[in-house]
Amino acid sequence: MCLEAGRLLDAFIDHELGPAESADLQAHLGSCGACLQLLADRESLGRLVRQLPYYPASDQLRAKMLRLSTGPRFNRSLVAWAAVLALAVSLGSAEVVRFARARHVVKATASVADEVVGDHVRALRDAHLFDVRSSDQHTVKPWFLGKLDFSPPVEDLSSVGFSLIGGRLDHVAGQPVAALVYQRRLHPINVYIWPAADRTAASDTRSIRGFQVRHWIRNGMSFWAVSDLNDAELGEFVRALQR
Amino acid sequence: MPRQTFEEAVLPHLDAAFNYARWLTKSDADAEDVVQDASLRAPRFFSSLRSDDTRAWPFTIVRNTWYGRFPQATGANRPTVYDDMKHDRPDEGLDPEALVMQQQAVEKVQRAVQELPTDSREVIILRELEGLSYKEIAAVAGTPIGTVMSRLARARERLQAILGPAATPLGEPS
Repeated sequence: MCLEAGRLLDAFIDHELGPAESADLQAHLGSCGACLQLLADRESLGRLVRQLPYYPASDQLRAKMLRLSTGPRFNRSLVAWAAVLALAVSLGSAEVVRFARARHVVKATASVADEVVGDHVRALRDAHLFDVRSSDQHTVKPWFLGKLDFSPPVEDLSSVGFSLIGGRLDHVAGQPVAALVYQRRLHPINVYIWPAADRTAASDTRSIRGFQVRHWIRNGMSFWAVSDLNDAELGEFVRALQR
Repeated sequence: MPRQTFEEAVLPHLDAAFNYARWLTKSDADAEDVVQDASLRAPRFFSSLRSDDTRAWPFTIVRNTWYGRFPQATGANRPTVYDDMKHDRPDEGLDPEALVMQQQAVEKVQRAVQELPTDSREVIILRELEGLSYKEIAAVAGTPIGTVMSRLARARERLQAILGPAATPLGEPS
């Protein structure tokens, strides 16, 4: 079985095994120390590899691409352009429909406040604050690309005493959300971000089980900040983030 | 509004495309060239796109452009120096700073990944940094899913062999 288990281990880690194979492997892992060690090694390796540098495109390249998009070169191939447009538009609308169906946009309710506090506590308890650990907003922001169907705003606030220390993918009300982690002294702050259900400027301040919770909506995104910081300092953080 | 649409179609993928190209080419200048060429080829490429390839396409086109520009990069991978690197572990216990250890470990992984043959390196990047599924990676690389699976397993085995058992990241009991 070990040979077979070794063959399936990577697919198991990557959640690419069918339920039957997955159950078989799990049963084997329960009784085989060598394979269990192999799994632990692979998971350690995965955590290291996922911290590799992510190289975002330079501003010059981005500017060049913008120029290309408007430059004369593209006017020459109008037919090709028409095809691009038609396809991009059709893809776009297909995506929109798919997301509109799939997403039950989370409403800003008391239950959400409870849930983000619970998640904050769990993340701290399990020491799982980061999927991407970086103080560089240009590393954290692109990390979410392809993992979420929206791009969360990421800003380092270390100049005003709140350091960005990383981010992770999380779930609130069964929906994938971006979680950013900031820190003041030894107090971590979790900021949960997802597209807002409506664009009204709802905001909310609560205290739940000793944690301060702030909610606001800005530029179509719903924000929830949770921390054990005192309310005044969390307020300062929220204002800095809103600037 | 053609301009709007080009921006919407290409620019959101620019960072992912560049990151992938940078890991393939190991050079900023080459990666910029490849991404620029890839964007110019995008119009033609779009017409052959299937709707379930939407996540894979920026990588597919970057990959095709890269192999088109540097045909020698295909298959023929130069032999790497794993045996030398095996003896190149950081001295454990010398630096008590966990963060420094962590940084060293990441730098070591970075070197190890850059030493991997191209076909191993790209599956690692697409899987671990871009979070693509095996099916999506197979679409990018133009190989069966089984090949993706075995390349990924082989790549991780090599990384583990290079890094040795001390590859324990921060927060793990070591």
